[in-house]
Amino acid sequence: MGSNQGIPGSVRTGEIALERTEAGLPVLAIKGEHDLSTAPVLRQQLHSLIAEGVPIVVDLSSATFVDSSILGVILDARRRAEAEGRGFAVSHANGADPVGRVLDITGLRSELPVHAARELAETAAVGNPSGKSPA
Amino acid sequence: MSSPDFHLLLPAKAENVLVVRQAVAGLGEAIGLPEQRIDDLKTVVTEACNNVVLHAYDQRPGPLAVTAEAGEDEVAVVVADRGRGFEPRPSGAGEASLGLGLPLIAALSDSFEISGGAGEGTRTSIRFGYAPPVGRDNGTPGIERIEETLSMQLAPGAAVRPVLARVLGAMASRADLPVDRLADSVLLGDAVSSHAPADFAEGQVAVSIKDGDRALDVRVGPLIEGGGERILAQMEIPGGGSLRKLARSMEVTKGVASDGSSAEFLVFEIAT
Repeated sequence: MGSNQGIPGSVRTGEIALERTEAGLPVLAIKGEHDLSTAPVLRQQLHSLIAEGVPIVVDLSSATFVDSSILGVILDARRRAEAEGRGFAVSHANGADPVGRVLDITGLRSELPVHAARELAETAAVGNPSGKSPA
Repeated sequence: MSSPDFHLLLPAKAENVLVVRQAVAGLGEAIGLPEQRIDDLKTVVTEACNNVVLHAYDQRPGPLAVTAEAGEDEVAVVVADRGRGFEPRPSGAGEASLGLGLPLIAALSDSFEISGGAGEGTRTSIRFGYAPPVGRDNGTPGIERIEETLSMQLAPGAAVRPVLARVLGAMASRADLPVDRLADSVLLGDAVSSHAPADFAEGQVAVSIKDGDRALDVRVGPLIEGGGERILAQMEIPGGGSLRKLARSMEVTKGVASDGSSAEFLVFEIAT
């Protein structure tokens, strides 16, 4: 989905792909534009994964737009995962793109924290339940 | 008081926020805002619209009105509703939007203010840039109407083409029209834009769009007498073709303008 090249405005809300690492760790890859209209789907998918009882990585690297409702869903999922002792980590590899800018302004890059590569997030999710860097 | 570059009126639904986002992106593009500032504008307007969708009508239908006006040094945006106003209440589980939304608006805009009260609806007025404040006494035209269509009025100028093209593109995309129909809808939008605003009865380019399953119904007008035929004539392509063939149907009809007078409209359907 995403944008039909060259046609202005033809941006659709994006997709959420459930991918797996070689070790079988679920990675929820958020792609394209996401907002209030896709937040319920993301929330549902995250809740299902938390119920599976495995560490989870949310990868924002292919997202082109996220709003506060998406960030709220991610924060809520982290709280739930933490409460149940599941690993949870977020990655975003693109620095200062529109999504990175929102992560910086809201302080979520350090609060979540957001890892600069999917592999780092995987390590964090497996290594400790909250996904936070070890003290 | 100059008129806004665009006024959008549409149902306050989550899926419509993307359409508003595209409209302001089109305006940002038209006035040459840097890419990052366009992204900021999209975020700010999205968050203001989210507040309307989430909090104004308590799950009931209601209108979302967005006006945007680009001045020399700033873009002024007003997002308004006719809802119940801000009320103290606990936020639902996982509903972090209001928590992060307002700080995002505050951080990315030069100033913003929220006005209104219980039963009055709420207006979020946002400004980018450092020009002196402009008055906000122009009301929000047309907000009393609640319709299942999107309606917009665009002031003459460079923003007409990109805003109309992006809104049509977003609506066509959402209606699941295939890529060639998407391109057609943008071409037809351009044909309307290129004619603007000489034949529009109220001096502004006025377009209503209703989206269905794999179809868009577009109503252009109110137009002055003969305006519909002149737009159709402009769609003729040398050699006998016409852009009107891109639409499944297209005709000039008589209707009623907002002031009650009779006017012409050009209506067309884009469908698979």
